[in-house]
Amino acid sequence: MWNAVKNLFGGKSSRDVAKGRLHLVLAHDRTGLEGGKLQEMRAEIAAVIAKYVPIDADAVEIQIEKAGKRETHLVVSSSISPRNA
Amino acid sequence: MGRAIVITSGKGGVGKTTTTANLGAALAQLGKSVVLVDADIGLRNLDVVMGLENRIVYHCVDVVNNKCTLQKALIKDRRLENLWLLPASQTDDKDAVTAEDMKNLVFELKQLHDFVIIDCPAGIEQGFKNAIAGADEAIVVATPEVSSIRDADRVVGLLAAAEIPAQLVVNRISANLVKKGDMLSQNDVIEILALDLLGAIPMDDQVIATTNKGVPAVLEGKSVAAKMYIQIAMKLCGMEVPAKEAGSLWSRLGRALGLTAEPA
Repeated sequence: MWNAVKNLFGGKSSRDVAKGRLHLVLAHDRTGLEGGKLQEMRAEIAAVIAKYVPIDADAVEIQIEKAGKRETHLVVSSSISPRNA
Repeated sequence: MGRAIVITSGKGGVGKTTTTANLGAALAQLGKSVVLVDADIGLRNLDVVMGLENRIVYHCVDVVNNKCTLQKALIKDRRLENLWLLPASQTDDKDAVTAEDMKNLVFELKQLHDFVIIDCPAGIEQGFKNAIAGADEAIVVATPEVSSIRDADRVVGLLAAAEIPAQLVVNRISANLVKKGDMLSQNDVIEILALDLLGAIPMDDQVIATTNKGVPAVLEGKSVAAKMYIQIAMKLCGMEVPAKEAGSLWSRLGRALGLTAEPA
């Protein structure tokens, strides 16, 4: 059991795991957005992009990342289908 | 005019009251005139941690309701020349005082004392808002644990919104666990919360023993935690903290905690 947990985290120390989890959790906390709202926003942004360029709306990803000291970045990424596909 | 410093953390049980008591005692030992304010109405504890629980007659809610003067509600700590406690009420709730009441109370105390140290209740609701209302600056206490740091981050955000500058005290750090990779180091906590460090208090059994007796660790003086509290108090007063000899136990401990740099 313990080994399974250890493998899951790639053998990192619990200190490193805590750090990684905190960075992620705090980036989300700092936006003040609950999970549902984030997905709602993702769908709306995807719909707007789809108006201008051909994309697969379901493949649009939204991410909140820590950037700098107390700044947080909202990253929306989407691949665009080739024009003459 | 004195300085009002609120001791806050978001999460409960991380050492706000212990930090308030010890910093207060250390500042008083440095010759400053200090009032400790228990802002945890309904769940007061600063009185027992200070060992002054048997001397309470009036409390801050009595002052706000004009049942007594502010001076009358202050309990003088007889162990030190210039340390006082303004206790909280144990029977009222957080709505018994308003942010405006607290602001006025703290302002009045600042007229006569160098430091007003406010022990903030856990949480981020009305009690927190009241406790920070009169504060000029804040000390955020966090232990090196995910739950404590997450809550501290919320508080850091709220303090920034209220334009109250904050500094960090990392509490109950174990050099041994950090070394083993099983505890966040103080530098990890600083990096995550993006706050300046005021000091890191090592895990210290002495603090539990002295608190049992109602004596702030600083008054017994010998423990490592007490020494750190004294250093923090000196830093707050703008005094230079004495440098350690390179090979002393202290500097080795400091390096192990990431507190001081490796010698060049």
